[in-house]
Order: sequence, then structure tokens, then C-alpha cells
Amino acid sequence: MKLTDQSSQQYRRLWWFASRGLAAVAAVLLIAAVIGAPSGLQNLFNGLAIGGVYAIFALGYTLIFSILRIINFAHGAIFTLGAYFTYFLTGAAVGFNGLLANQKLPFGLPFPLAMIGGGILAGLCGIFIERVAFRPLRNKGADPLLTLVSSLGVAVAIVNIIQLLVGAEIYSYPRNPFGEMPAALNLGNFGGLTARPIIIRTIQVIIFGVSMVTVVLLTYFINGTKTGKALRAVAEDATTSSLLGINTNRLILITFFLSGLVGGIAGTLVGLSVNVSGPYFGINFGLKGLAVIVLGGLGDIPGAVVGGLVIGVAESFVPSEYVAYKEAIAFAVLFVVLLLRPQGLLGRVVVQKV
Amino acid sequence: MEVFLSSYGAAIVQMALAGVLALSLYLPLMAGQLSLASPGFYAVGGYTAALLSTTVFTGYANGSYPIPLIVVEMVIAGGVSALFALIIGIPSLRLRGIYLALATIAFIEILRVFALNQPWLGGAVGIYNIPQPFFSATRIEYLLLALPLLFGAMFFVARLERSRVGRAFIALREDELAASAMGVRPTYYKVLAFTLGAVLAGMAGALNAHILNTWNARQGTFDLSILILAYVLVGGSRTFLGPVIGGAFLVALPEIILREIAGAPGLNPVIATFLRDGRLILFGVLIAVSVFFFPYGLITPELFKRRRKKPEKVTVEAAKPTPNVRGGNL
Amino acid sequence: MSKVSLSKRLIVFAIAALLAVAPSALLAQAQEVEPIVIGVAVAQTSNVALLGQEQVIGAQIAEEFFNARGGVNGRPIRLAFADTGGDEAGAINAFQTLINRENVVGILGPTLSQQAFAADPIADQAGVPVIAPSNTARGIPQIGRFIFRVSAPVAIVAPNAVKQALKQNPDIKRVAVFYAQNDAFSVSETGTFQQTVKDLELELLDVQTFQTTDTDFTTQITNVLPLDPQLVIISGLAADGGNLVKQLRELGYEGAIVGGNGLNTANIFPVCQELCDGILIAQAYSYQYDSEVNNAFREAYKAKQEKEPPQFSGQAFAGIQVFVEALTNLDNRKPLKDLDLATLRAELREEIMKGKFDTPLGPISFEETKKDDGSPAGGELVQEQFYVAQIQMDPGGATGRFVFVD
Repeated sequence: MKLTDQSSQQYRRLWWFASRGLAAVAAVLLIAAVIGAPSGLQNLFNGLAIGGVYAIFALGYTLIFSILRIINFAHGAIFTLGAYFTYFLTGAAVGFNGLLANQKLPFGLPFPLAMIGGGILAGLCGIFIERVAFRPLRNKGADPLLTLVSSLGVAVAIVNIIQLLVGAEIYSYPRNPFGEMPAALNLGNFGGLTARPIIIRTIQVIIFGVSMVTVVLLTYFINGTKTGKALRAVAEDATTSSLLGINTNRLILITFFLSGLVGGIAGTLVGLSVNVSGPYFGINFGLKGLAVIVLGGLGDIPGAVVGGLVIGVAESFVPSEYVAYKEAIAFAVLFVVLLLRPQGLLGRVVVQKV
Repeated sequence: MEVFLSSYGAAIVQMALAGVLALSLYLPLMAGQLSLASPGFYAVGGYTAALLSTTVFTGYANGSYPIPLIVVEMVIAGGVSALFALIIGIPSLRLRGIYLALATIAFIEILRVFALNQPWLGGAVGIYNIPQPFFSATRIEYLLLALPLLFGAMFFVARLERSRVGRAFIALREDELAASAMGVRPTYYKVLAFTLGAVLAGMAGALNAHILNTWNARQGTFDLSILILAYVLVGGSRTFLGPVIGGAFLVALPEIILREIAGAPGLNPVIATFLRDGRLILFGVLIAVSVFFFPYGLITPELFKRRRKKPEKVTVEAAKPTPNVRGGNL
Repeated sequence: MSKVSLSKRLIVFAIAALLAVAPSALLAQAQEVEPIVIGVAVAQTSNVALLGQEQVIGAQIAEEFFNARGGVNGRPIRLAFADTGGDEAGAINAFQTLINRENVVGILGPTLSQQAFAADPIADQAGVPVIAPSNTARGIPQIGRFIFRVSAPVAIVAPNAVKQALKQNPDIKRVAVFYAQNDAFSVSETGTFQQTVKDLELELLDVQTFQTTDTDFTTQITNVLPLDPQLVIISGLAADGGNLVKQLRELGYEGAIVGGNGLNTANIFPVCQELCDGILIAQAYSYQYDSEVNNAFREAYKAKQEKEPPQFSGQAFAGIQVFVEALTNLDNRKPLKDLDLATLRAELREEIMKGKFDTPLGPISFEETKKDDGSPAGGELVQEQFYVAQIQMDPGGATGRFVFVD
């Protein structure tokens, strides 16, 4: 796909996103209507809430893929690191195990600042990973698969460094870090549409909101700013764009920083929802995150959100008696979608060069 | 030596099995297919053997389970895996690259959840008390089965690389369009490579069910997929020796760091503690470093080329095909 | 293609090969009395490390405690740790290292029941006594003659908590059950819970499953809440169980909650914070148990970790204690220094089977079990004390405690 007129490209993309988004929402509503049962709407909201978590995890993941066409296995580890960084920046102490037992920072930041700080530190870790694991291989012109293995090595190292330094225990943030808020929102029963009032946890609404805002910001950044356009040029053809005077390496560093930033903040928010369960906290999302970004179309930023929401909703509509198979649903959906639409839900068909 | 064998017995057997698993991923890769399904077939094979030996071939006292029966189980496990491979492979091998990898990951995850929910597969606890053919605490005797399996698989793959079928695989990997234009049927050969890999993985699973004495849904998951991929790429994906060496190397590495380096006499205790507690950090770093220094893997076809003769004779030697060179150079 | 020379590769291989075969000469101990080595093979890495970490602490406290008391009739003990990781092959490797290199007299471990089914047969064939600190699945002592456990099989613990919930609210009729389907312990525990619900003639509304790696339980919870349960029973581990409680409460559940033995750890306090309040927990270990050894253990643990000891640490301590006291009894009968290692291990097995031990778990002993074919197997735990505690959280939810109820 060539860049022709940029503003028309932008509109086309916006329209394309909007239409596909609408189609997805319509499909989802259709499912809700079909299920229809008293719990239909509740399931829909549950699905969106869970999907928000998948989406926010997948955004940073898919960003790197969109530029470099490689899967960064270390993203789960960055996500975890962001959650831990935030924890320490709030001035809380390490647990009693690991080399840093009982240590804490001499200062403590208010939670929102700590979260942003945690995101920035995670972004810097992203840059570090790019420098040590990705760029050397890229400079050698190595097979992209090797980068995957190299990022796996980095992920193994990070997880075990965390364990060595701070132990395997569960870490949690203070409650109500954004001020006094109800734990859950009662959305009422939609004028008698549902038998029971629909209740959603506040933190999940926040996660959903943040992932929506993030996707809009990222889409704007990629499509609407100069740096973003340069990034897309790099994504299309790194060699040509560097010939055109674009500093490829600097742009890739920016991508890794952004991916880490988004991943770190996502890790904090998810940690707020479900606690930081140990060094494998983010890695546990990695597998489903992969399903999400493939479902949405690899490297497609709105697609990651749509993929996340589709999987979330599909999981929440699993009938109660088959809930034991819930984990398989995401992958069954993935399998079927791959067979029907190998390029993913929102992915573009790539014409095979002859 | 005795201490070495008895404390490393199981690890050595696992090194051999890692080689077999790596070959099972290498086979589809030979035909250009990035399939991560091996752990799925490995799990299928393990469950097959676990079920057969605990419910069908019963009546043997512990330690006297006949070895031929294990071979029979391995053959059946290979067959069952092949069946699964055909069912999964024919629709999904239209996919390419990372999409195929994802479809195969979906397959293993679905399989895992399915197994967890089947009471006849033991649920979370799995199947245990799998009968043992040896009265042994070291498990080293299992090399009697693991090594023939490994060498058989290596021999088979080596022969395959030189055969018409192998050349078709490699032609598909290098350029599918050109290959199909030359009359290589892509779907047929892709499914063939995928199925052959599945048979190897299933047989490895069947054997490991006996070695581990138990089988459950924690065997053969996504983590193993990625690890096997690392075996192949760290070892080298252009000759069959690469995956075998890569598998053995990566299985042995954490054990060696833990037991030999960290346990070396006279080592600074701080370093020893770091090596022991942080060996997986080192493991991760070594994986990342090794792909940097050996982007084509530890074992490359060129390695054998250069080792054969001095440079001036290379041209002469290269004209005469040697067993190990051709696969990588085609 | 590759620029790395053959010689470089050869060097790498040579180093690797050398390291692989390097003889690891055992360091001659400079001490006058050579300590008795007891192996500890638990998961110090992998995603079960949270449990393994608690076991390591419990075992270390036991080592210090018993050595301060003179070890085995004056001869100190030394713990040899071998990390099993989270998988079966890792457990086998760790057992083999401890048995053949460290020449341990017995092994405490492994962490997971699934690992036990893989590794225990090796110790049994080598004639090395194993004490399982946390394997609760059916069939563990039946693996072989040398296998013991200090972790109560769930059947005994679980019903008490349900009865306690009924005592607190006799109106309870409708019950919903949640369990972690990928955790061997939770699966067998939920069987007991569901049986108890039937035995007590309560109505079992629904059974929902999850995975220990799950973090979001809204689907399961909204499946159950419309059925209007009065009691929810959860079998899971700390992180998932705690999150489930938290989300249940946040989504408006107000009835009673009974947690399985996997929730018997202060690790769930940070997870559900003040929402943990009121959970009834079936306990195989209570830090409030008042005995000399438990008070000493509790003090030592609090000095290290600044919180109350969890069950996994208590069971690990008890396991080491069984080894030390059985060794002492054996030494009184036949001096250890006169026994070769194989005899010592075999005699130790008999001594463990015979002994009665006053551990932090309360007085325990073992009873002989049989395999399916009738041949003799290992020792099943006979534990007298079981507890039901209720969680009480402090205002603010940062700290809390388990309070005995009976």
C-alpha cells in the first residue's frame, strides 16, 4: 500500500477504522440480542471490561510489530516491570525476600505520578532491550525469527532478575489511589431490560477508558504527526526511508519507548485491578495477548483493541456450564478466524510478491 | 563417573528427547513452515502411552514392564499424533509464517484445556504410576530407548534431506512459488513435513510419559513451544544436527550452571550464590547472546565444509556432495 | 555466511563440554563434626516460586532452630537445597542431585503433587525417605514405602469450615462452588467440599471453574450471582482466590465465603485487603496453635518476615523436624556413625514411621498405607489438630489476622 495523498489516507483510515469498529460493535450487539437472556447485557459489559485488559496489554505489543514486523516476547516482562516500578515509586517497601528485601525509596510519589514514572522507566527498559537484543541482530540482517528468540532470552532474564531482587510474593497498591471511588458502578437495569442491575468494577471502566484513549492517541500519533509518518515510512520500507534521510534507528527507539510506556502504564492499571501476582504477572498475559494482536490483524493498532474486545466478549458469553472451557474459547475463535481471514479481523491482505 | 551418571541420568535422557522434539519442529521448518505444534503432539503421545500402559497393557510388576510394549506404545502414539496432524494440518497449512505459528499455538492451548476437563485423562493431577521397565533410580537406562529414537530420527531426517522429498521441502522453503511452478505440490509436502514432525513429537511424548512416571496437562504447553523453537534456532536451522545440538545444549545449560559452575570448589560464595539463584538470568542472557554471535545457529552446514579440508580444496570437496552439506546449500 | 570462525565455536564447545564433565569434588568440611545433610527440593524458581519460597523459609528456620538445640545428639544438620523449578523433569533432576551428590539422608519436597508423582519413585527406588511438605493429592504415600507427607489430604480439613459457616448462619441453604481446575490440590479439595454440601443437605446451585493464572472472574461471578447464593466456597491459591473474593465483594456479593486450604496464607491479605474480612478458612496449620515448638517457630518467622507464618512454612518446618527427631531416635538406638548411608536411610524410614512428633502442626504421626496391589507403601499423615479460622482485617485493609473459631 503506497502513501499517496496523506490527508485522504488519513480520512480513509479513519473511515475504515470507524466502519470496522461499528461493524464489530454491531456484531457484538447482535450476539447480545441473540443471547438475549437476562444476563446478555451483563455479559456484554463483562466482556468489554475483560477485553479492555487484553487490549491494553496488546497495544504496546502490536506497536512494535507494526514497525518492525517482529514479535517482542519481552513485552510481558516490560508490562510486569512497569507495575513493579510504580509500586516502588509510591515509596512502598520491598517484601522480605530477594536481594533488595526491606529496601525502599527515600521518597514516595502520589500514585498517578508514580504510574507515569513507572511507565517512563518501563519505556527506558524498552529502549534498553532494543539496544541489546533487537538492534544488533537487525544490523546483522538476521532472520526476524532470531529476534523472537533473543527477546525470549531477555524475557527469561528479566523475570528471573525480578525474582532474585524482590522475591516471588504478591505486591499490591494502596486502595483508591485516584481518590475516593466506589469499587463498582451500578449501571441500573436499563429500564427493565435486565432482571438484575448491571454492575461493573470501577477499575475495569478505567482500564477500558484508558485503552480507548491510548488507541486514539497512538492512532493520531502514527497518522497525524510527522514522527508518526516517518515511522510508517520505516514500517513500509526501512532501507528506502533511511535513504530518504529518516533516522531509522532513532525512530525505532521511539517506538520501543512508546511501547514500553504504554505497557508499563497498562501493567500498573491491571495490577491495580488484580494485584501484581509475582514476576510472571505480565508473562501470563503474553499468550492471550498474542491471540489478541493476531485476531485484530498483526500490527494494526485499532485492531489490537477490537481483537481484545472480541475475545473478551466471546469469553464472557461462554454458557455457565461450559465455563471450564473458557480458556480455550479465545484460541478457538483465533483458529477459526485465522482459517477464514488469515490476515486477521482488521488486517489488510498483503499481496504476495512474485 | 558413577556419581556423574546417577545425578545427571535423567538430564541426559531429557537432552536426547529435546533433540527429538527439536527435530519435530525442524521438519516443518525444512518445508518453510513455522509450526509450533510439536508440544501438542508431544502431549497427545504422552497421554496415549499413559493410557495404554495403565489401562490396556496392565498386569506387569513395577520394574518389569516389557520394553517392546513401550516401543508399541511409541508407534501407536506416533500414529495417533499423525492423525491429529492431518486433521489440524490440512486446513491450517494454508497459513504462512507467524499466522501458522499462532494457529498451532491455538491448537496446543485448546488441547491443554480439553485435557484438563477430561476425567479419563486425570484432570489436573493427570495419570500417574505409569509402569516402569527398569528397576532404577537414575533413569539412565532410558537412554536405551531415547538414543535409538534420537539416532533413528537423525538418520531419517539426514536421509530425508538428501531424498527427492527433502529437496521438495527445501524448495518450498526457499521459494514456494517457484517450487510449485516446477511441479512441487505445496500442500502435499507441507502436510507431509508437518505430519512427520508430529510423529516424532508423539513418540518423544510416549517415551517421556514413562520416564516421568506421570503425565498431565502441564506437559507440552506454549512455554515448551517457544523453548523448542529456541533449541532449533540456537542450534541452527539449516542442518539436522543443529536442532539436536541446540536441544541438548539448552537442556544441559541450566543444570551445568547450577551444579557444576556454581558448585565448583573455591568459588567466591557471592558469585556461587548468584550463579545458583540467578542461573536462569544467565540462561536468558546466553540465549540472547548466542543468537547474536551465531545468527545461523551453533551448527551450520559451512562448519562441515571448512572442517573437511583446507580452503584450497574446498571447491573440489564441494563438488562431491557430503551428507551434511547438501541440505543447507540447496 | 557466518563470520565466526570454527576455532571460536570449538572453544565454546570445549568450555561447555569441560564444564559438563568437570568433577565436582566435594569440599572437605573443615568442621570437626560432619553435619548430617538433609535435602530440600522445592520450587525456588518458576511460577510456583511463591509457594517454594515459603517452604525454603520454613526449612531454614527449622535448620537454625534445631542446630541451636544441638542438632542430632550434638551433631549439626545441614540443609542442601536443590531447585525443582515448576516442572516434573526439574523435580527428577533435583532429587537425583540430592540423592547421589549431596548424599542426603532424606528429602523434603517437592512442591507440587504432579512433581511428586514424577520424582518420588526415584527416591523410593534409591531407598531415600521423602517427606512431602505440600503434596495433598490422593495417592502420594502410595507411591512407595519411603514416601511420607506432613500435608493433610484435604478430605479431613474442608468440611469443618462449611459446618462453621452454618453455625454462624443456620439459614444458609443455597451454595455456589468455585475451584481452580488446573490445580491438583484445588480439584480434589472441591470434591470434598461438594460432598460436604450434599451431606449437609444444602442446595448446590452451581459449580464454576477457573485457572490459577486467571485474574478476572467477572464471568464466573455474574453466572452465579443471579442464583442468589448465601454461601460461596472457593478452592484455589492465594493470588487467584484472593482476587476472586475481591471481585465477588465488589460486584455485590454479601453472603458468607468459605476458603479452602490454599487460601490459608497471609499472602491473600494484600490481594483482597479489607474485602478479605470474614472469610472462613479451613486450616491444616494455625499460627495461633499454642505449643512450645510452634511459639518458637512463630517468633523466628516473625523476626525474619514481620508477618505471621503461613501454612507452607509451618509444614516445611514440621518436615525437617520429623527428620531431625527421627534421626535422634535412631541415633539413640543405633549410633548413626556406625551406619553406612544406605542402612541409615532405610532405618530412618522405619524411625519416621514409628515416631510421634510434636510439631507446629500439632502432634502428628504416620500410618502405614498399601499400594493398590496390597504391597506396603509409605506413611500417611495422622494429624490431630485442624482449625477453622476467620479472617479479620484491620481498618484500611493493610493488615489482618486469622482468628480461631470453633
